[in-house]
Amino acid sequence: MSDQPVAVKTEALSKIFSQEAETVQAVRNVSLTIEQGEFTALAGPSGSGKTTLLNLIGGLTRPSDGRVWVAGQELNTLSHKALAQLRLHQLGFIFQAYNLLPVLTAKENAEFPMLLQGIDAAERSQRVTKLFQQTGMTGLENRKPGKLSGGQQQRVAVIRAVASRPALVLADEPTANLDSTASAALLDMMDKLNQDLDVTFVFATHDSRVMERSKRLVHMIDGAVESDVSRT
Amino acid sequence: MTYFTIILPLALRNLRRQIRRTALTASAMIIGGALLIFTLSFGDGAHEQWIDSGVRQDSGHITIERPNFRITRKIEDRLPEQIRLTAEQAIETLRSTGYIDMASSKLTVLGLASSPAGARPVQIIGVDPVSEALFTTLDELTVEGRYLESTDTLAAFVGIGLMRSLDLKIGSRLVLTAQDTTNEIAGQLVRVTGAFETGVEAADQSLVHIPINTANDWLTANNAVTNIGILVEPSHVAPQISSQLQQILGASLSMRDVAVMNWKEAMPELASAVMIDDFGAYVVNGLLLIVIAFGIINTVLMSVLHRHREFGVLQALGLTPKQTSAIVLSEGLLLTTVSGVLGIVISISLSRYFLGDGIDLSALVPEGSEVSGTTIDPVVIPMFRTARIVQSFGWILVIGLISSIYPAVRASRIDITESMKFDR
Repeated sequence: MSDQPVAVKTEALSKIFSQEAETVQAVRNVSLTIEQGEFTALAGPSGSGKTTLLNLIGGLTRPSDGRVWVAGQELNTLSHKALAQLRLHQLGFIFQAYNLLPVLTAKENAEFPMLLQGIDAAERSQRVTKLFQQTGMTGLENRKPGKLSGGQQQRVAVIRAVASRPALVLADEPTANLDSTASAALLDMMDKLNQDLDVTFVFATHDSRVMERSKRLVHMIDGAVESDVSRT
Repeated sequence: MTYFTIILPLALRNLRRQIRRTALTASAMIIGGALLIFTLSFGDGAHEQWIDSGVRQDSGHITIERPNFRITRKIEDRLPEQIRLTAEQAIETLRSTGYIDMASSKLTVLGLASSPAGARPVQIIGVDPVSEALFTTLDELTVEGRYLESTDTLAAFVGIGLMRSLDLKIGSRLVLTAQDTTNEIAGQLVRVTGAFETGVEAADQSLVHIPINTANDWLTANNAVTNIGILVEPSHVAPQISSQLQQILGASLSMRDVAVMNWKEAMPELASAVMIDDFGAYVVNGLLLIVIAFGIINTVLMSVLHRHREFGVLQALGLTPKQTSAIVLSEGLLLTTVSGVLGIVISISLSRYFLGDGIDLSALVPEGSEVSGTTIDPVVIPMFRTARIVQSFGWILVIGLISSIYPAVRASRIDITESMKFDR
């Protein structure tokens, strides 16, 4: 263990989904500690519990058992409002299905979390413009999501997640819809944010390129951690 | 601040996004709102006409008289000159309110009208020809001859039914007989100057107007009157003015000697008829509002069900459940407000443009139709009252708010991760 502060900690975390008579244990007794500034990949086959673990860490779903701490706050003890505030100020999400708001333009989507945070328009615009340049999205700012390709939407989703400069970014298959060039550019950008601003990244991924770039690889099988390897 | 920078713009954009659905629902609500305002203004117009017609044919929006006069209709229950002058002074005082349109003093007795062809029981009203011509609508219903004039002395303006019954013509002599203030039976010869036709059999057979000076001399009334009728504008201030008159008169007179009544107290049958008709309109309009409510629920709820994923994303990004529900409530209220305002504006504009001269319902209302003894004019002019419009708009907003609550609660209670599983 280093002396870095802890960004995420889970303790005996489990999640069981019940569907009619059937129950599925998506996450089994996972205890993890992710320090601030880590670049961690959760790998594993489909159904191994990567996305569910990300959702539990992000406070998007409540655990069936166990506890989660993010930025020092135990999520189980937080009200809906406090949880929303934590997500707003500490977390950035990149969803596999982009999940951009269809009524907003690409730029407005990217600025949305900052708008909620109360950051002024000039600052929002400056940050987003820079990120659009870095990801080759310049000129597409005023397009609605419906007028963007899958890869372009994914880049906007990434920009939205990082532009508000959260302490922790949770990314679910962020490169799934990107070609190798775009994928490398995104990873470079996230790597830079990780290096420069000490932003913690946790990816759920199948992508070997992401796994290669990660500094810690947590392998999951059937909801449990099978291996946890740190690389320098 | 979040409301104006995030919630309201999102609500507006969501409404614009499903523009056809929004337009369809808005159209239904605009039509509903317009119908609501139209039916209310039509009802108010009709009622105002009933009231106006009733008070002008009877004793005004407010009447000052002896407490028993309305029951006995006898000259014993008259207002002596001193009380009359005090009452007229009080009316003058209240003219400063701007609500008093006019006042007319009358001397009313029950008597007999005779001609060589026979005799009929009649209600004889001594009136000031000038002020009564402005007060009553009878002069407008003249079918033969003319109404009384200020220079007339031995003149009578009678109903067409009485004219026919007594075989009278313009200029025919007619003897009126009634009990005078000395309890003697007194007769008065008059000549017919004109005849009116209200269409109401009882009025056409029994009502006779003569100059008040003639009635005063004939009945030895010593300038007493049986009632002072007051017209106010608008009619709904009658209870307020009546109450003020009572206060002023109560300061110098015993209320055992004088009674002040507004038209609802003086003509309870007419007041009941208006109330019952209003109740019917409220029931119909209530149903209309329920239909509007279902339109809003349908639109807003469908919109929420289609946007589960979006609400999940919004909450994942940091919006609280309350803020999420505020978006949905705002959509419902925006839709309702804009549609309500448009409905009201369209209703008033179209009604004023096409129906400014009234709606002629002659085909539906038989001639001589009456409500509580008041002739119904088949031409109804819709009446737009600010209070009524504000009240209706308020109801539309309340319906919009209530209808949006359930969809808003649904939006706030979504499971974020489950919502993400919805197909885009």
